[in-house]
Amino acid sequence: MLSEEARQAIAQVKKADIVVGVPSYNNARTIGHVVRAAQAGLSKYFPQLSAVIINSDGGSKDGTREEVLKASIEDPRLLLLATPLLPVHRLSLPYHGIPGKGSAFRMIFAMARELGARACAVVDADLRSITPEWMDLLLRPVLHVGYDFVAPYYHRHKYDGTITNSIVYPLTRALYGLRVRQPIGGDFGVSGRLLVRYLERKDWESDVARYGIDVWMTTIAIAEGYQVCQSFLGAKLHDAKDPAADLTAMLQQVVGSVFTLMREYEHVWRRVVGSRPVDLFGFRFDVGLDPIPVNLERMRHAFLSGCRELREIWSLALDPKTLEELAAVCRQAENQPRNWRLADDLWVRILLEFACAHRRMPVERGHLLRSLTPLYLGRVASFVMETESMISAEVEERIEQLCLAFEAAKPYLVARWDSAAQAPVASARPAPVEVKT
Amino acid sequence: MIGTLREILEQSWQRLAGTATTYVPPLLAATVIVLAAWFLATAVRAVFLRLTKTAWLDRFVVESGLSSLFGRTRPPQTAPLVAAVIYWLILLVGLLTGLNAFHTALTNKIVEAVVFLLPKLFAAALILLAGAWLGQYLGRSALIWAVNEGLPHPRRLAAAVRVFVVFVSVVVAADHLDFARTVFLAAFLLVVGGLVLAGSIALGLSAHGALRRHFSEPARTRAEEEKSLWNHL
Repeated sequence: MLSEEARQAIAQVKKADIVVGVPSYNNARTIGHVVRAAQAGLSKYFPQLSAVIINSDGGSKDGTREEVLKASIEDPRLLLLATPLLPVHRLSLPYHGIPGKGSAFRMIFAMARELGARACAVVDADLRSITPEWMDLLLRPVLHVGYDFVAPYYHRHKYDGTITNSIVYPLTRALYGLRVRQPIGGDFGVSGRLLVRYLERKDWESDVARYGIDVWMTTIAIAEGYQVCQSFLGAKLHDAKDPAADLTAMLQQVVGSVFTLMREYEHVWRRVVGSRPVDLFGFRFDVGLDPIPVNLERMRHAFLSGCRELREIWSLALDPKTLEELAAVCRQAENQPRNWRLADDLWVRILLEFACAHRRMPVERGHLLRSLTPLYLGRVASFVMETESMISAEVEERIEQLCLAFEAAKPYLVARWDSAAQAPVASARPAPVEVKT
Repeated sequence: MIGTLREILEQSWQRLAGTATTYVPPLLAATVIVLAAWFLATAVRAVFLRLTKTAWLDRFVVESGLSSLFGRTRPPQTAPLVAAVIYWLILLVGLLTGLNAFHTALTNKIVEAVVFLLPKLFAAALILLAGAWLGQYLGRSALIWAVNEGLPHPRRLAAAVRVFVVFVSVVVAADHLDFARTVFLAAFLLVVGGLVLAGSIALGLSAHGALRRHFSEPARTRAEEEKSLWNHL
């Protein structure tokens, strides 16, 4: 799993209480800031502990690795109140295997295990809003309170994190019963024993190696009963994309990982009813956020194109009634470009029926997941139109309503899941339950 | 005169009797065999449909993606299909056994030909089935890709992929059966050659502008345009 270069680095460092991992690929512009913030945070909050910052790089060509090794807090302009007793090592190594964030994490975790780390934090390399406090917030709950998994909690623009808001958060919450607001946030704190558990798993060569890693880590932590909490990290500022821009692969990997884990942890989510809040560390405050431009017309066009061309593929997964309701939404979107909605209950049923079809049809899984893109864009467009004039708190309330719709639809999911397991006959379906929103 | 006539009649009767003694018993035997095969086939089909639990078979058809060949939304009914295959196989075996009862050069030849051809026909049918399945699968992949990329006429593209894959499977099946081999191969080469030529022309025309833009821009701008591999979700 570890390269010779990594083994040599471990032999030199020998031991570390804390490992901070920074996966990267062509992040020369921002990674210096991330490494400096991490280094300052480790020196300030954990001066008595030995720490290593590991940059796991995917073959950057823009000097990312050089930036990591150059980054230093030995700057006369930076004053630290605590004097670090031990130096913070910095390593920059290329990882091997499938290119992707998951493979980068795998190397970081493997090195952390070899170094005997008690806690490990991972942060994205393109963050502009990271501060030294993030280290404290991600690591202290693990080191001093006994949590195994620290999920991030950020303030984000209402159109940022659309996969999180419309799919992953509501679905994960409804399935496993914990309100982890950013299950695919990208910045986590992990205990030594949990990262050993991650490394034991055999599914690293799947979508987990790419975008699926975040939801994989969160789901395993929740479903296997590890102690989970959240830390408020402030704003998440990064180069956000238009939700309509090149997202099929991302969506396929994230949603595919959620659906795959649903099969594995069926025995867990079946028993769960409702959801409960998760402990939140850190002082919550409001911050100004970068606006995120969205192209509504482009999303509507993508949705309509899906309506026209992909009905045959959607019919593999969707109930005839759901398909009919969806067709009505398509007609509405066609006739009233600025006044149409893909309602919560319909969106919930679409996703749950796709999850059941994903279980039922292994050969068609790729098709089903890729055909979800226009539906997802339709849902995002509908959400954007609905929340155009809303402030952040109102949007959060709106997301809460969607979560409740997912939780209310749980009996429908269980019934359909069972009918999918027993016989693949499309007509053997329970009547859809009323979803209260 | 009368004697000659009687002789002819006697010879004719003897020939008829000879033919009857030669062919009627095998004909009766063949009829009995075919009837028995028909009874057996009908009985086996009925028993199969009544007793066999085919849920696993339906599941296999869905899980393997074969159900897509049977229609879009209709749930698969594999039990009647398998029962029909069994029925016709038993009937075919009965017919061949019946034909074999005649034991003439012609019937022996027919039986031999069918027995020799049957495995080949079976293999060819499998090739066609696999081709149809693959065509359907790749056609769907092309359709979804075209829709997600916002390309024009996604259905036509998907249909072209499907037709091409099915055509390849027909060529392979024909080659396996030694049936109009040269005609199919020539058609296949023409199609593939045409596709390669069309693709080359299209690539050449579109790459021209792209290459010019690429080389005219400063390297720094290109590096800035390169997006991070990971995005915050």
